[in-house]
Amino acid sequence: MDSQQRDRMLQAMMEELADRGYSEASVERARSVAGVSETDFAAEFADKDECLFAAYDQLTDQVVARASAECDRGEPWPERVRTGLESLLRGMAEQPGMAMALTRAFPGIRPSAYERYVELLSRFVPFMIEGREYSEVDEELPGEVELLAVGAAEAIIFGEVDAGRAERLPKMLPEILFSVLVPFMGPERAAEEMRTASMSI
Amino acid sequence: MTLGVVDTDVDVLSVSDRDRILEAMASCCSQSGYEETTVEAVLSRAGVSPESFEAHFADKEDCALAALNKMVSETLARISMAQPRSAEVSERRKFEVQAILELMAAQPGFARLGFIEARQGGTTRMHDSYESAARVLALMMQRAGHMAEKHGARAALGGAEAVLRRELAAGRAAQLPGLLPDFVYAALVPFVGQREALRQAKEAVKLAAEEG
Repeated sequence: MDSQQRDRMLQAMMEELADRGYSEASVERARSVAGVSETDFAAEFADKDECLFAAYDQLTDQVVARASAECDRGEPWPERVRTGLESLLRGMAEQPGMAMALTRAFPGIRPSAYERYVELLSRFVPFMIEGREYSEVDEELPGEVELLAVGAAEAIIFGEVDAGRAERLPKMLPEILFSVLVPFMGPERAAEEMRTASMSI
Repeated sequence: MTLGVVDTDVDVLSVSDRDRILEAMASCCSQSGYEETTVEAVLSRAGVSPESFEAHFADKEDCALAALNKMVSETLARISMAQPRSAEVSERRKFEVQAILELMAAQPGFARLGFIEARQGGTTRMHDSYESAARVLALMMQRAGHMAEKHGARAALGGAEAVLRRELAAGRAAQLPGLLPDFVYAALVPFVGQREALRQAKEAVKLAAEEG
């Protein structure tokens, strides 16, 4: 199986999960969508689970890449956070099924799948560290402040995706941005960034 | 049995059977996830008979929902008992967060069932149960914080939950009470600002040390 075929297979498998849920997701259907033979599949993956886990890893790589791709390194940190969030939210609004697979269908399979979701959130932590420089107090912020910020955004995003309202996410950029910035900058300055973001929508 | 207490014992035993089953359900779910948990596995962990299970629960989902309800009501009870006389909202919040963390540390199986399985795994009814509990918590925060913006409370809770889930998923529930200062900071910063939230977080360090 060449890498393009493999990508197609992983994509089709994730779509199966998004459309039908874990127990109904079928390798055969995904294979026929991707144009992959039974023999080729067997040479690459031990079973449905191995394919699904690989598909999830690919999807999370894409999500992280998407969030960081449009950020201009020259811009101040709060603006980079805004740009990253904006493209993440747009992506989820465009593909609500994938957003559901990302946040619920896959992590809910079993504890080992859930660990991948925890790992996904932790991959956003390094992007947050710079926020500490924007603090209005001299003392050190709490050790978990980065994940607290990521989790705040996740809570709002998860709630909307789960309620079938992923298409509303781009409009919610201002309040999500506020939630991410507030532990680093305090409510006044986070609210200023929020106002700027609502003007740009 | 000649002691004449047989009648009352039956009731006591059956109550604790139910609790044992709920405990076992929570532990099995945190080990294998709800989907792959079987009633047989729950029974063998609880050491009770299938008849006893049937006397208390209609099926696996019914049992998981009962375990969730138990966790939710215990959490709410802890929160309401955690209120000291102090009128300061931020003071009260600190005790509430501490009460929740201690409960989670003491009952990691239930914590995982409530915060992970019911949210992202499990059945629709389990998910509804998570949703309504989360709504109650967010409303409590909103009212206490006198804030109009509903997403502020959800985000503050969400940040803390992400840390909580990471610890639960890694099997580190016992260390949760040590995170009290971070959680207090997260719960307060949108409402009172960084300086005051940090001050309260420091107070929380002392509180954790006194209790520990």
